[in-house]
Amino acid sequence: MVKSIAQKEFISTLRDRRFVVLSMLVLLLLLAATVVGLYSSHTLQQERQVAQEEVNHQFHNSADRHPHRMAHYGSFAFRPKSSLSFLDFGLDSFTGASVFMEAHKQNSANFSQAQQSSSLIRFGEMTVAFVLQMLLPLLIIFLCFGAFTQEKETGTLKILLSQGVSPRQIAWAKIAGYSKTVALVVTPALLLAGGLLFGQNGLDLQPDMLWRLLLFMAFYLVYFFIFIVLSVVVSALHQRSSTSLVTLLGIWILCCVIIPKASANLGNTLYTTPTKAQMDADVHEEVAKGIDGHNSQDARAEALKKDLLRKYGVDSVSQLPVNVDGIIMAVGEEQSTKVYREHFEKLTGTFQKQNRISELAAFLNPYLAVRHLSMGMASSDFPHYLHFQNKAEEYRYHLAQGLNHIQATRLKYHDKTTRLSSDTWKEFKPFTYETPPVHWALRHHLLSLTALVLWLCLVCTVGMRLVHKTQIV
Amino acid sequence: MKKFWILIKYEWLNFRADKGLLILVTLTLLAGLYGIYYGTTEVQRQQQNIAGLEKLTEHNVEELKAKYPEGTDAGDIGYYHSTFAVHHPDSWASLALGQRDVNPYYIKLRLLNLQSQLYDTENINPQKVLAGNFDLSFVLVYLFPLLIIGLCFNILSIEKEQGTLPLLLSQPISLPLIVGAKLTFRMLVVLGLGLLLSILAMIWGKVLPDGRVALWLGVVMLYCFFWFAVAFLVAALQKNSAFNAVTLLGVWLLLTIVIPALLNVYVSIKQPIPQALALTIQQREVVHGGWDKPKRETMDKFFALYPQWRDTTEIKERFVWRWYYAFHHLGDVAVQDLATQYKQTLLARHELVQKLNVLSVPVNVQGIFNAMAGSDLPSYVQFLQSATRYHDSLREFYYPFLFRQITFTPADFAREPRHSFSSAPDVDSAVNGFVKLLGSVVVVFGAGLLLFRWKTASVK
Repeated sequence: MVKSIAQKEFISTLRDRRFVVLSMLVLLLLLAATVVGLYSSHTLQQERQVAQEEVNHQFHNSADRHPHRMAHYGSFAFRPKSSLSFLDFGLDSFTGASVFMEAHKQNSANFSQAQQSSSLIRFGEMTVAFVLQMLLPLLIIFLCFGAFTQEKETGTLKILLSQGVSPRQIAWAKIAGYSKTVALVVTPALLLAGGLLFGQNGLDLQPDMLWRLLLFMAFYLVYFFIFIVLSVVVSALHQRSSTSLVTLLGIWILCCVIIPKASANLGNTLYTTPTKAQMDADVHEEVAKGIDGHNSQDARAEALKKDLLRKYGVDSVSQLPVNVDGIIMAVGEEQSTKVYREHFEKLTGTFQKQNRISELAAFLNPYLAVRHLSMGMASSDFPHYLHFQNKAEEYRYHLAQGLNHIQATRLKYHDKTTRLSSDTWKEFKPFTYETPPVHWALRHHLLSLTALVLWLCLVCTVGMRLVHKTQIV
Repeated sequence: MKKFWILIKYEWLNFRADKGLLILVTLTLLAGLYGIYYGTTEVQRQQQNIAGLEKLTEHNVEELKAKYPEGTDAGDIGYYHSTFAVHHPDSWASLALGQRDVNPYYIKLRLLNLQSQLYDTENINPQKVLAGNFDLSFVLVYLFPLLIIGLCFNILSIEKEQGTLPLLLSQPISLPLIVGAKLTFRMLVVLGLGLLLSILAMIWGKVLPDGRVALWLGVVMLYCFFWFAVAFLVAALQKNSAFNAVTLLGVWLLLTIVIPALLNVYVSIKQPIPQALALTIQQREVVHGGWDKPKRETMDKFFALYPQWRDTTEIKERFVWRWYYAFHHLGDVAVQDLATQYKQTLLARHELVQKLNVLSVPVNVQGIFNAMAGSDLPSYVQFLQSATRYHDSLREFYYPFLFRQITFTPADFAREPRHSFSSAPDVDSAVNGFVKLLGSVVVVFGAGLLLFRWKTASVK
């Protein structure tokens, strides 16, 4: 009986021309989004890769320079697009693409896509994730709103029940039928996305990527399932199809349009972000109390010199086996970096608090849960962006300290003119960035994962109990 | 006419009794109020931050005055002293924040080369800017259509489904009168709400009461008319409520989300911006190359641009500041073309969107709002240009000190130029958009009217 109800739903949906047309449209958009996403992320990746190679080449072949000049010449980190980010651009369009890495100073990531767009970009971007998150639920609502109400309106529900099946069984049967239909719409696109990914990377696709892709798909399947069950439950609670539809559309608007925006804005209002100018000034203030990398007259520098003289048992700094300039510079860099990192952590802490509101709102709204998980798997979420920024900062620090070390060991005291040959710069490995592994990404989204699982349990237990108690007039 | 008012009165009674509709209207009202609150606080916060910058500059000046009480080489000041180019929001920005959260509204400047400083960004939470601004323009552009759809999707179909249509028609009233009265009643509710919220936002945000008041209210009214026309068009098809709801939501989705997203893809493919990364790489190469070039060569290049400083003394020292700032400026000159192209391409992108916005009324209306509030891309580009001019004036101010080797004394700080830029509304493009909007309303309403006539005729 249950099987035949499921089969009936599946077949009658396929016979419904309106549904077929709608799902073809969604499928078409999904395919278009896949191709467009792949194209634009490929273009961006190409652009950044070329730029990265160019600056690496420039660094390694730079003119003969004093090491501290080289530290100011610095290098750039261009954020590579991750292979999966074509499925979900996430924050990528709103985060900077290039960071200039130099001594003494931590620079912002500049040139985001959003800064180079008119306000059109704020309407949203056409990605696979967008179609899956927003349009698929609508298709599901359209598919399921009449699950019970239609049977009620035509009086067939009573007949069905008289056959000895419970409302719960009917609900599960219908859910099975609808799931099959939704799978029919989604599978070709997911297969295409997977195929394109394989085509792009060939056989050397890392298992990590594969895991990300599989989890990405799994999260969406759970999300669709939640929406299917939710729609069937709402349908069971209503007597008329039109009211059931309107309720479901209302839920969709609330979940997919209003709550995401409101929660992000609320977070922003609750926790104030300090300006970059204020932050830089605070860092400067705190560093000034410490050693000033450029000014060896500083009292602390004097103390440091005395320490060194005592340590090596000599009377003047020129007799030291090491160049005190480099050492002072290194200590200064260490101190300013420490201060900066403290402030940066505070800033990202504020951002995380702001974002926490949206993460908590996922318990009210499965859309937010899947959105965060989706960005996480596509490595276009906030933790991945932060990861990149931290890696760039780490590289900057090691570059500056490496050059300070060279100054301390290979140059004489107060030597400002010696230029080291470009072979020296070849000792430095260029900046490379690896996307962190999938479990790292998952760990940052435990809250969203919990919310999604909770939603799944909720609709399956509480939802089904409601179906069981539904009134049949 | 009397019949019309009777119908309106009964619509009102109906509306009052329908909890669902009341909730819908209340929700929209609350969303609108939150939007106004959010917009005004956000603009206030930006203004406070800008005011805070002044203190930072003062603090920096005090620090340098203390460090060099007897004055010093202006080169030291140019290196350690920083001021800000600031982009004040227009008084209307609280109604439509536009791109003001994405684009920096101040730039910290030193006398060093401009192109390495001009594009630094503010601390922004990318997840927040991805979600967008919940300002009044969002409520009007996105949520008002949904309110209109919620109020109108079953305007005719519900009478059929409840079986009250034949009863109504058995009275001496015509179908057009019924539909007209129902639409008029709903328009009164929606327009009342829209205008109320707009006026409230203008008072709350203390906007400059100029011609934009009328323009804004006009746009709000026309935009509501547009969605009523769409609802009318769909009602004219005379299908059931479920069909209407899905169709209307489909149109909403298409116009506010799908078409804009596709347009965005088209625009970014059609008008790529490769200059940004090239510019940033090249300016570094030229500036740092300046250290390794013979000083004579650098200075000759510089004097070709600034012949007034040519007779200053030959540089024999290993390092002097005027040479340092000369090659910094040459770094800017080297990428001038790229920088100009970058700005032009940004504007070309905006122009392209302006052309394509006939395809989506919401994109057009958002564009009008942002143009009126001076919060879109062109304002930002103007700010970049203004900041460039400010950097020029800073250089003009410091060059006499540097090239005539005059000591920069603490008193000289007071004479240093300061920067202030307020975004100006782009009324022309707003009016242009208004005309386009009017066209859209006429077309859709006309189509609805034709379809309605044809359908009622065929029913008879």
